[in-house]
Amino acid sequence: MDIIVCIKRVPQTAEADVKVDNTGKDIIKDRLTFDMNESDTYALEEAILLKEKFGGTLTAVSCGPVEAEDTLRIALAKGADHAIRIKEEDFSDIDGFATAQMLSSVIKGIKHDVVLCGCLATDDYYSQVGVTIAELLGISHATLVTKIDIADAKAHAYRELEGGLLEHLEIDLPALFTIQTGINEPRYASLIAIRRAAKKEITVVGKETIVPDSIQANCMLEKLYIPPVGKRAEILSGGMDEISAKFGDVVKEKGLL
Amino acid sequence: MSNVIKLNPEIREAIIESGGQDVIKCYQCGRCMAACPWNLLENTEYATYRFCQRIRLGAIIDSEEKEDIAADTIDVFRCVGCDSCRRECPRGVSLSDVLRAVRRILVDYDSYPSELKSVISRLYSTGNPLGESAEQRSAWADELGVPRFDGNYEYLYFACCIPSYDSRTQIVAKATAALLKKAHVSFGILGEQEFCCGEAVRRVGAEKVFQTAMKCNIDSFNKNHVKKILTTSPHCQLTFTKEYTDKDPDIASVHVTQLFSHLIIKKRLVPKYPINKKVVYHDPCTLGRQLDIYDEPRAILKSIPGLKLVEVPVFNRELSVCCGAGAMGLWRDWPQDERLAHFRAQQILKTGADVLVVACPYCLQMLEETMKSLNASIEIMDIAEILWSSVAGPEQEKIDEAA
Amino acid sequence: MAEIFALVEHRQGTIRDITFELLTCGRKLAADRNAQLTAVLLGNDAGSMVDQMKGKAHTVLVVDHEVYKDFNAETYQITLSELIGQRSPILTLIGHTACGYDLCPALATQLAVPYTTDCLEISFDGEHVSVIRQMYDGKLNAQVRLRDHPSYIISLRSGCYVPEEGSLSTQIETIDAPLSTQPEHRKFLEFIEAAAGEVDITKADVVISVGRGIKEQANLEMVKDFANAVGGVVACSRPIVDAGWLPKERQVGSSGKTVKPKLYVALGISGAFQHIVGIKGADTIIAVNKDANAPIFNEADYGIVEDLFKVVPALKNKIVELKQAKG
Repeated sequence: MDIIVCIKRVPQTAEADVKVDNTGKDIIKDRLTFDMNESDTYALEEAILLKEKFGGTLTAVSCGPVEAEDTLRIALAKGADHAIRIKEEDFSDIDGFATAQMLSSVIKGIKHDVVLCGCLATDDYYSQVGVTIAELLGISHATLVTKIDIADAKAHAYRELEGGLLEHLEIDLPALFTIQTGINEPRYASLIAIRRAAKKEITVVGKETIVPDSIQANCMLEKLYIPPVGKRAEILSGGMDEISAKFGDVVKEKGLL
Repeated sequence: MSNVIKLNPEIREAIIESGGQDVIKCYQCGRCMAACPWNLLENTEYATYRFCQRIRLGAIIDSEEKEDIAADTIDVFRCVGCDSCRRECPRGVSLSDVLRAVRRILVDYDSYPSELKSVISRLYSTGNPLGESAEQRSAWADELGVPRFDGNYEYLYFACCIPSYDSRTQIVAKATAALLKKAHVSFGILGEQEFCCGEAVRRVGAEKVFQTAMKCNIDSFNKNHVKKILTTSPHCQLTFTKEYTDKDPDIASVHVTQLFSHLIIKKRLVPKYPINKKVVYHDPCTLGRQLDIYDEPRAILKSIPGLKLVEVPVFNRELSVCCGAGAMGLWRDWPQDERLAHFRAQQILKTGADVLVVACPYCLQMLEETMKSLNASIEIMDIAEILWSSVAGPEQEKIDEAA
Repeated sequence: MAEIFALVEHRQGTIRDITFELLTCGRKLAADRNAQLTAVLLGNDAGSMVDQMKGKAHTVLVVDHEVYKDFNAETYQITLSELIGQRSPILTLIGHTACGYDLCPALATQLAVPYTTDCLEISFDGEHVSVIRQMYDGKLNAQVRLRDHPSYIISLRSGCYVPEEGSLSTQIETIDAPLSTQPEHRKFLEFIEAAAGEVDITKADVVISVGRGIKEQANLEMVKDFANAVGGVVACSRPIVDAGWLPKERQVGSSGKTVKPKLYVALGISGAFQHIVGIKGADTIIAVNKDANAPIFNEADYGIVEDLFKVVPALKNKIVELKQAKG
């Protein structure tokens, strides 16, 4: 089976201080650690599991700056056979739609039975690249997938809907799936694999292959700002005694004692 | 399982290059295994010297099976850096440094326990592992009117991240400040110009973050003409004296137990109010084994009238058993029956002491939490707290006024 | 006259709340652009669903056929691309839901129309479209402008527009189904309910919910004690389920359950949007979080900015005390 996984290197902002820089259109990245996007780590693991089950080749692709090659090496160390970086620096004013065009133009040239992406990137929250790639490649897709069973060129995919409900679909391969977190347990890399990955060549693709003028963006970021503070909770003050007394009052009022 | 091991000299070279050169000295005597606290627990076995053997063969984390790789990786990250092994080793091999070399490679490849990722991310961004804002670092001191350090004060008091932000441990910083004021020691703090010392991040292999921490602190020391640092945490003390190789060698660092014991001898601090309790002292690994400071804390406790000092039999001083908080142990989630802190807590409780005194904020947090979970009634105090209560007596509650 | 489409989302015969939010947004935008709002309903035996649209749009465009009984992104894409192709609405609104995830980018890409997803707010500046979105784990908002084009497709996040009663005079327009069978490549087979489990958190009056702030699995004991004392059930945010500390049936949020208890206590939950969506219907929300800036405090009625490990035992003791006093 020929498997492709798309990964993205993102800043880890969940537990960090995020500040807007003085252009007003980007964040200050000095003190942020960068890692593979969380749902991409699950997509990568799922891709490796598929490769282990069916045999074949796994290629990891990322559109990003040169540092994205570190992230691609992690993919190689965990089980990808090949890695391709699209040189983001060769293109300007790109958005998710543009990224999807670039990724699909590269993927088009590689045999693919299954393409996996994360369902959501924690930096921009768009959840669009995977599905757009599928449409551009002309293959079926399903998002928010929590389980994939493949047999005879067909996939049974289970999508996570609201309220804990699952949607069970049958999809023809080739297909693209965007993977939800929690679907599997991402693995550690062995030192042997790490050494191998450190030496592997990463294919780099830029404007000599993808003509910048052929890439169109849909969106322009005009401004980044701290969200206005909405209606705030009444903060209970005082020591534990006062706070728990107030809590007791609330519980009483609601008839829950 | 096959008896054939594939040799990977490349892996050995990579680990040695990453800082694991001690591995060559090991001659497999196994004394470290008897010393390692993990081997004192019923449910864990830590084959310490085998790490050296396997690294020399390049046969570590070398499986192709997902579960074996995971088990091996977790083992590499199990070591808490207590240094018991090095103490026993006839050749002075620091196994925790060897494992740190392996960890550096794994952290670079994002192949390490996920509990640590968020702590590292928080620390890198805000300068402390709790993720609190840098501006709030001096809040505890501002309340007491502790001045900002400039070149005119004698000591930079570096309180450590935990006492700076955690509400329970802030009492340690406040008691220390009160004692220093009482003894007319000239000191100030740097607040938001301080960054975590970086000892724990370096121990788990996040070298880049450590380098940032070191650079930030050294810049602050230089900018503010710091000549002497006073530390509450043995981890900060160790890091400033041994790991901050880029620091001006003329900048000295002293631990509070060293300064307090000196001030007591000079009668600038007089513990006069009796504490009629049986007190057991737990030697923090870093203060004891790694910095050789055993006598000063005991001298302080012995100077308190009415205090009866007892030791954990056998496992005291160099043989003190680690509380498990090192190498980011405070943030690890070991199963209930695999906790060093539980083991140490039981040893401590067997002494029948009323009070446990520690001299490290990590030990304080770890052991206090553990004693609570065991429903033990023993009181846990930092050495600064108990000294302050004897020095200030009935006034001790009014730390704010005294300071 | 210019037309704005709003896709009606339904599941198992019920119209989902997002639809009414979309229509409210759509009515505002239609008024701004002097356009007509058309609710697009692809369904089966859709009569009662059509009735619920009355007043909320100028037109309800209905495609009624068995093949539309359950959502299938490919079916919808084929059908909507035809409808949009014929009618050229200036804007098509879709919910940023599990359906929208599958549908919005594919439909827009097929039609070569600019699109964006997960918007909090949409506005027209003349003919230009501008949206507000969140970025960076929800810590920052972004104002984003779409490239000029006669038509757009935009997905809207749940819970951003408060549904209002509409009072438009609504026409119903029925169109023949362009499809009569499910597409070749993608077939909806069935829904699978989450495993029943012992507890249905959606039925509880009191929900005690934990997030990352709980730090360790062992600390759940303290929370269970508290929940028992106050007669509530334990629930959680996504990371707790991902870590395997609680089963999926306890998850509150966009991909978990929506709960509407009398009292919801959020312990160590930051208030990421995916979670907030699941608690909007709660009567009273009390949040405990050490971080005074945690977004949960924008949603909660009462906030306790303290270490939850101190607060929880104190609250539990208070309840035990009050219950004993009550006798």
